[in-house]
Amino acid sequence: MSRSYDRALTVFSPDGHLFQVEYALEAVKKGTCAVGVRGQDVVVLGVEKKSVLQLQDPRTVRKVVMLDDHICLAFAGLNADGRVLIDKARIECQSHRLTVEDPVTVEYITRHIAGIQQRYTQSGGVRPFGISTLIVGFDPHDTRPRLYQTEPGGIYSAWKANAIGRSSKTVREFLEKNHKDDMTRDETIKLTIKSLLEVVQTGAKNIEINVMESYGKITALDLPQIEAIVAEIEREKEAEAERKRSRLAATAAGQAAMSQAAPGSGGPSGQQ
Amino acid sequence: MEAISHAGSVLGVLAKDGVVLAAEKKVTGKLLDLSGAREGGYGGSGEKIFLLNSNVISGVAGITADANSLVNYARAAAQRHLFVYNEDIPVELLAQRLCDLKQGYTQYGGLRPFGVSLLYAGYDPHYQFQLYQSDPSGNYSGWKATCIGANNGTAQSLLKQEYKEDIGVEEAIGLVLRVMSKTMDSTTLGSEKLEFATMTLDATTKQPKAKIYKPAEIDALLAKHDLAKKDEDAEMRAT
Amino acid sequence: MDISFALTGKGYVIVAADTTAARSIVKMKTDEDKIKVLSPHLLMAFSGEPGDTLQFAEYVERNIRLYQIRNTYALRPPSAASWIRRSLADSLRSRRPYAVNLLIGGYDTSTSTPHLYWVDYLGTLSPVPFGAHGYGSYFGLSLLDRYHDPEATLEEGLDTLRRCIDEVSKRLVVSPGKYKVKIVDKDGVREIEL
Repeated sequence: MSRSYDRALTVFSPDGHLFQVEYALEAVKKGTCAVGVRGQDVVVLGVEKKSVLQLQDPRTVRKVVMLDDHICLAFAGLNADGRVLIDKARIECQSHRLTVEDPVTVEYITRHIAGIQQRYTQSGGVRPFGISTLIVGFDPHDTRPRLYQTEPGGIYSAWKANAIGRSSKTVREFLEKNHKDDMTRDETIKLTIKSLLEVVQTGAKNIEINVMESYGKITALDLPQIEAIVAEIEREKEAEAERKRSRLAATAAGQAAMSQAAPGSGGPSGQQ
Repeated sequence: MEAISHAGSVLGVLAKDGVVLAAEKKVTGKLLDLSGAREGGYGGSGEKIFLLNSNVISGVAGITADANSLVNYARAAAQRHLFVYNEDIPVELLAQRLCDLKQGYTQYGGLRPFGVSLLYAGYDPHYQFQLYQSDPSGNYSGWKATCIGANNGTAQSLLKQEYKEDIGVEEAIGLVLRVMSKTMDSTTLGSEKLEFATMTLDATTKQPKAKIYKPAEIDALLAKHDLAKKDEDAEMRAT
Repeated sequence: MDISFALTGKGYVIVAADTTAARSIVKMKTDEDKIKVLSPHLLMAFSGEPGDTLQFAEYVERNIRLYQIRNTYALRPPSAASWIRRSLADSLRSRRPYAVNLLIGGYDTSTSTPHLYWVDYLGTLSPVPFGAHGYGSYFGLSLLDRYHDPEATLEEGLDTLRRCIDEVSKRLVVSPGKYKVKIVDKDGVREIEL
């Protein structure tokens, strides 16, 4: 039975799971972390950059890529799978422009990518793509930033802020706690970096930030800029800790004063 | 991946004016007829280092039969590009073509993945000299110096220590031979155990020039560098 | 009926095409853009069977763009021209071939040289210092033979172009009124008023 060539690799287990899809999700969890955050009128993509080996050419390590002039994608999971899927998406972007003379909307290309990913969970003789993606951009003639996520199973969804890859749960929880609607450009960038710092211990040099401000306008922050923001965040944390310490000290002092005052007034007297 | 860690190692170093590849041959024997490599062909014994296109050479490590079919595919892809665009295929694009094939074999059922890693050394006008490495999963990356196959860890750390930015091609040849002699199992280097190639620019035409050394040339090169090495030792002792 | 001219000079290529869209003896409009910008340093003027021209030009435009997005760098002018020629030649041997003539002008940033290619609907490709398609070629080529200078400055190049256009207005029975002129050089593509 299972020898027949056309048998799907992905089959339901008796309790209704698709193991291949779940394995693919494991591959995603091993991938480097990527964060997307939407602000008032910007959307920011931040990724954890694996340290480039000394002799490696940093140009060839790409985690964030352009699909078209106005759409940017970051992925977590198997690099080779990512490359192939991105290639399919780029073709669709240009093909769409050719057939209907309009650029794709962010939702359209997300749906297309998710559609491809879904197909690979169901058709015969293939395994699913081992990647999740974050897709950001602006629709043509629109000022609202967009952020979408796709998963190996073919699910796609829109988000205000989300994370994929290694320790994405921690980052997502952080984002849930700290995300506000209507953030400015700087606030959005800062939140992105802050959330990445939750999982990236090595700081600015392992962070890559791309900011999309309007249709087709995308900028990558360089290292000094990121370093400056990281330093600022650290200063704030320091100040926060300082406040906490002084508060603690104050209460401790208060308590000490109380306990010093205590023996005279109403301490246990029977001991001496 | 396991198959590759036993294969003869391939070493590549990127210099500012060229790229150098060297490979350790595993198939040797007294009765092996090597006359083809000595006299005919474009150099190399057809086991480890191949010419993929006039501007790209590659070294392979892994299952030789798989490697042959990949090399064949790469050559066809390069010619297809030449046919359509009338230019030599950019190095990274050729690496991508092969990696897309390799990735496909990991994703589509019924087929096993290719058990081959490759190094690509080449030149194109976009990024000048380049060195890439790809593995069976279909991942690739660009390097200044790298190694695949047996003992690649040792070789890589040696390269890391010794590699200098702005290295020239002559120095790179020396570096490659030095590292190779340290990582290979046998104590003596010789043309029967080694393949060697360089990619440089022709001084007059400014076109990429691939040179895959013939056994006699390898021996000559080894003699030159081994001598140089002995001199160094002598100097060390003298001081 | 379309008329297009192109010429190279010192570090630039000028591409000009008339802006008339006509059907039979009727002018339908006079602001048609017949020069596509294919990449930051590549221009293509197209003429021939209406409908075919636009269809083919858009097909080329999207494919050149796809190449650029996939590889982060654009095709260089010689490679782009070869690809376009190949597409036309394949189309010629299909059931319904495109009847499109092209002038492809580009600036190669890696060698800092201007390139101009003349392509016709039969899939002929030739690199030329100047070129023309349509009725304009009957009047323009001799002038270009006489006045073209590969070392000319941009202003001198435009003067030569003006001579060609003036001659067409003077002698051709059905001469078009307006032209679009685009220039490509090291800074990229820009449109100018003649």
